[in-house]
Amino acid sequence: MWLARTRGHRDALASVLRLVRFVNSWSVSFLQLSTCALIVSHLACAGEAALPERDASQFPSDASLEAFPVEVVDDSGVRHRFQAPPTRIVSLVPSATQTLLAVGVGGRLVGRTDYDQLSELAALPSVGGGLQPNLEVLVSLEPDFVVRFEGESDQATADRLTDLGIPNFAIRPDGIDDVLSSIERLGLITDQRVAADALLAEIRGDLADVAARVEGRPRRRVVYLMGGEPPWVAGPGTYIDELVVSGGAVNVFDDLEGLYGPISLEELITREVDLVLVSDEGGSPDLIDVEHKSIPSWVEVPGPGLGEAAKLIARLIHPEAFP
Amino acid sequence: MRRATWAGVLFLALVGSFVLSIWLGSVELSPSEVIAALSGRGDPTNRLIVVQIRAPRAVLAILVGGGLALAGAVFQALLRNPLAEPYILGISGGAATGAVLALALGLVASHSWALPAASFAGAILAVVLVLRVALAADDRVDVRVLLLAGVVVGAFFAACIAFILSISDARTVRSAVLWMMGSLAGADWTTVATVALYTIPAAVLLTGLARPLNLMAIGEDTAGYLGTNVESVKRTAYVVASLLTAAGVAATGVIGFVGLIVPHGVRLVVGSDYRSLLPLSFLAGAVFLTLADVVARTVLSPTEIPIGVITAFVGVPLFLVLLRRSMGGGQR
Repeated sequence: MWLARTRGHRDALASVLRLVRFVNSWSVSFLQLSTCALIVSHLACAGEAALPERDASQFPSDASLEAFPVEVVDDSGVRHRFQAPPTRIVSLVPSATQTLLAVGVGGRLVGRTDYDQLSELAALPSVGGGLQPNLEVLVSLEPDFVVRFEGESDQATADRLTDLGIPNFAIRPDGIDDVLSSIERLGLITDQRVAADALLAEIRGDLADVAARVEGRPRRRVVYLMGGEPPWVAGPGTYIDELVVSGGAVNVFDDLEGLYGPISLEELITREVDLVLVSDEGGSPDLIDVEHKSIPSWVEVPGPGLGEAAKLIARLIHPEAFP
Repeated sequence: MRRATWAGVLFLALVGSFVLSIWLGSVELSPSEVIAALSGRGDPTNRLIVVQIRAPRAVLAILVGGGLALAGAVFQALLRNPLAEPYILGISGGAATGAVLALALGLVASHSWALPAASFAGAILAVVLVLRVALAADDRVDVRVLLLAGVVVGAFFAACIAFILSISDARTVRSAVLWMMGSLAGADWTTVATVALYTIPAAVLLTGLARPLNLMAIGEDTAGYLGTNVESVKRTAYVVASLLTAAGVAATGVIGFVGLIVPHGVRLVVGSDYRSLLPLSFLAGAVFLTLADVVARTVLSPTEIPIGVITAFVGVPLFLVLLRRSMGGGQR
């Protein structure tokens, strides 16, 4: 079957089909990456501890700490000035949506994307996909703050939003530091600095706890497969790579060029691997004869669940460190 | 007689579809709200939706739909091949290569005009390349060589796209695929003005070629005896129709089926006289794409269906019905 597939790939037609499949599989990974928002239900399924309950009201609004206006630079380098905290927010980035919920401003959200499936958001109108939102629905919600994804493809959307007079804040949660910084900035903008700081302290606490537990243990060689055919992996600069490394392992594909990309099956077979982590919709799990463990899809949301994700991945890599 | 009637019907349909296009959308607006927004009164949000989002989109659909259908009709006449469509001579491949290259090099992130500019440049490169190949064989443009050269150049560009995508990262691949599916969602008044700048003169020029194209349909030699400068007509038709297609592709990506089905549909109804066929194809293409866009953005609202899906789903059955009816009626 292996051979047949390889031979098939030489065929021009097959390679076109493969391109299509590869794009399809990639979009699945993409959904997992930045858009899958089933944190709560997946936590329950996976039998993991649920995210700590956050009661927004326990954090006072902290306008007293630093009076508005505030100036914050987004991930496209644009400096935004906020005279007052925004009151009508649409987040096109599900991980940022979760951050906004976690810092207690869920009540200010006036819209969602098709990929936000948390029950507390279900009543909000959807603007469609987050990468190419339906502009007229977005405009009709009259947001005073839109969080958008910063990426190569999105300059057109960004320009359109700006043309239409909608303030749009770009975030690009690639690595752990990017995620932490976006939490901090969203807290600042929404005047929820105390809540954001508490969330950051908790994530940093989890990361420190994980680091202490795996300290001195042998670094296992781990492949994190994100699905697709050929399978996709995360390279350096991604939070997935950083979570694997912080969990006491070596990312076998830390030489990948670009953030995420496909690897050849031959590379996968010939490299030395101790453990394969396969995310929920991952493929090719049985090509190499080493231990495989499955990753729930909520891990691939670079938002407030980052600390939990770090603990989960570390526990899968070094179960003995988590008695 | 017949021509004037059809022109009247299509013109009314065009006005109707334009009205539908600015009235219907994901956000429900009453006719009075739309009228208020158009006259600069009413709720500022509604004004934004009607004037800055729906209206440019409707006008772009008219320009691109009309342009593609007209270019398709001209290519079918020029190449004397019923399979000819605006993209057959490698234009979509060239445009897509330009677009994908701009995406892969990250130019698009910093300049939003980079994508249309690169795809337009790619399309022009394809046009020049095909013409050079076709002329290298002989001093005259042999339409069979032109067709072959176009298909081969198109295949070359398809390989370029596959190569660039295979070494690009995931986000580039996704944007490229979205672009290749075609969409009118990016329409703003600047885009409309740029496309109009190409489409209107090109449409006037091509419609003016109707008589020589009629003569050439009898045969190139005959047309020559009757005083037509066949070479110059062929080159003008090819270059202008290509420019028209390139402008559309650069603004909206590759929208299929309009350029193939609309001219054939019009031909089945009014016959092969290019004096009717060319202008009516423009009108019919404009109506068709405007309505297809209304469907694309309302059926699964707020999510948009790629417009190429609608043009195929609606266009193909419609075309098959027309084809069958005309066979039954013994025309053609």
